[in-house]
Amino acid sequence: MSDIIKVENLVEVYSDGTKAVQDISFVVKEGEFFGFLGPNGAGKTTTIKILTTILRKTAGSVTVAGYDIQAEAQEIRKLIGVESQETAIDADLTGRENLILQGNLQQMHGEILKKRVDELLKLVELDEAADKRAAYYSGGMKKRLDLASALVHKPRLLFLDEPTTGLDPQSRATMWSYLEKLNREEGVTVFLTTQYMEEADRLANRLAILDYGRIVASGTSMELKQEIGADAISLSLEKADVINAGMKEKAKQILTTIKGVGDVRDSDGGLTVYAKNGGFIIPDIVRAFDESKIRLSSINLSSPTLDDVFLKYTGRRIRPEELKKEASSFMMFGRRR
Amino acid sequence: MSILFDTQYLFVRAMKKLLRNPILLFFSLLQPIIFLLLFTQLFSKFSQIPGFPASSYLLFATPGILLQNAFSSAFQSGMSVVEDLNSGYLQKMLTTPVSRSAILLGRLLSDAFRVVVQSLIILALAYFLGASVTTGIAGVILMFLTIAFFGLAWSGISLSLGLRTKRSETVFGIGGFLTFPLLFMSTALTPLSFMPDWMQTVSKLNPISYTVDALRALTLTGFDWATILPAYAVIGFIAVATLGATLYQFRKVIS
Ligand SMILES: Nc1ncnc2c1ncn2[C@@H]1O[C@H](COP(=O)(O)OP(=O)(O)O)[C@@H](O)[C@H]1O
Ligand SMILES: [Mg+2]
Repeated sequence: MSDIIKVENLVEVYSDGTKAVQDISFVVKEGEFFGFLGPNGAGKTTTIKILTTILRKTAGSVTVAGYDIQAEAQEIRKLIGVESQETAIDADLTGRENLILQGNLQQMHGEILKKRVDELLKLVELDEAADKRAAYYSGGMKKRLDLASALVHKPRLLFLDEPTTGLDPQSRATMWSYLEKLNREEGVTVFLTTQYMEEADRLANRLAILDYGRIVASGTSMELKQEIGADAISLSLEKADVINAGMKEKAKQILTTIKGVGDVRDSDGGLTVYAKNGGFIIPDIVRAFDESKIRLSSINLSSPTLDDVFLKYTGRRIRPEELKKEASSFMMFGRRR
Repeated sequence: MSILFDTQYLFVRAMKKLLRNPILLFFSLLQPIIFLLLFTQLFSKFSQIPGFPASSYLLFATPGILLQNAFSSAFQSGMSVVEDLNSGYLQKMLTTPVSRSAILLGRLLSDAFRVVVQSLIILALAYFLGASVTTGIAGVILMFLTIAFFGLAWSGISLSLGLRTKRSETVFGIGGFLTFPLLFMSTALTPLSFMPDWMQTVSKLNPISYTVDALRALTLTGFDWATILPAYAVIGFIAVATLGATLYQFRKVIS
């Protein structure tokens, strides 16, 4: 398979000095479903904007389908479909008119376009609402319309920037099944960004984990999880003990003395312990904590998830956030904007 | 030529959006209509003052009201662009191979078309109230061309402001702030000789005065090229400046 996206040492520095993307390199192969996983502010949208030719890169080299992103942008625009994070549809136009206009802008006309639009309206189950103004659509319907409009000209490569953020679980599941079908049955290469590890886990053949503008890990979801090589035991300490930092240190020390315990990491309400045979160690942990009067509020055993991979490389957990609550992201991640 | 097709698609889009927001359209027409009905009553005795250049205030003020309408619709143009910027629709268009120039052309042509249609409504109402145009159909056509050209030049201000600030409040605020002083300190609603000296000076520098004088020549006196051509020079000069600024800001947004 050939590389449909090739990114080498890509850097993006905004005019205010924000280093949104700091020297990333990756490839996406034709036909692949590639996931870009990272928390709010990681640089996902910035990367997509560069790849979709609407933001000029600061440094590095990028080719899409063999075309240079700067010199041959016009060629790239003909073969990509883009669904942006903000659900960019024209609310004053009907669903059908939105798709027709999008087709027109992709230089399609007449009967062929009309047929394609009908087909897409059926696919995303908007055929009944097709002649209503998009202003009256629900959030899920708008996302579906936006997806359909990215597909009008049968793009070879589809970019999706957080296509399910803000959707209810049912709409999310529907979106997932469309995307899987597109990739498997129609062979469309998909580049998807998300803050949800389950989404990346379920959809992506291969993924890159992005944090503060850097790729911290990449591979198949299986490979990444195997790197952890152990079960994850999440321990939540009781509130009072969490506040008492000394207590947490003490807990950590106790854990390292227990046989079979691998890595121990801080996580939000307590600690995460990695161990080969998690189930066997739990009784030892409980006993040791009991003796030292450290109170636990919960214990959770799981096989490693992408969240554990993220924790391993960044020391934090991914906390998905809705787009509109940017103020809270400011506090949680200490990022700008 | 894809630029022609693309311009047409985006022109049609702008028209649809306009017609589907009838309230906005209604209020933007309401203001000139109120001016027409109210001012022509309020100032009807003006025409009896010696030195007043027209036989009725209605005849005198109609060109001024036509320009006021052009002026305020031009300021809505920038707001539509801000809307497209903030909704992400502009960025979405930019990921397609659409002609970049067509995005601006579609916008400007729809502005011009809109202002001509609104002017037609206002002129029809003025005619109904008793106004007329001495230069006949040819003069009316030239008036519309002048108004459309004037509208384009002022659209440039609101478009460049919108593209630069990305805030419709700013465009709206500056538009509102400029409208009244520019309008009242021009020959749009008052003859030059009726103003205090200082205001006469301001009025002579005010580009609105040139345009309104040209329209007034067409309605009152005839094809007086010595008045009409300077108006074109002034509008042309403004158009080059404002559309140049728009192009510059637009390039910055799309690069
Ligand atoms: N236009 C801009 N100017 C300055 N900084 C920006 C701009 N857009 C995004 N940023 C900053 O760049 C970083 C990455 O943002 P973004 O790519 O939107 O992240 P993500 O999509 O992963 O949430 C953030 O710190 C954000 O605040
Ligand atoms: Mg984003």
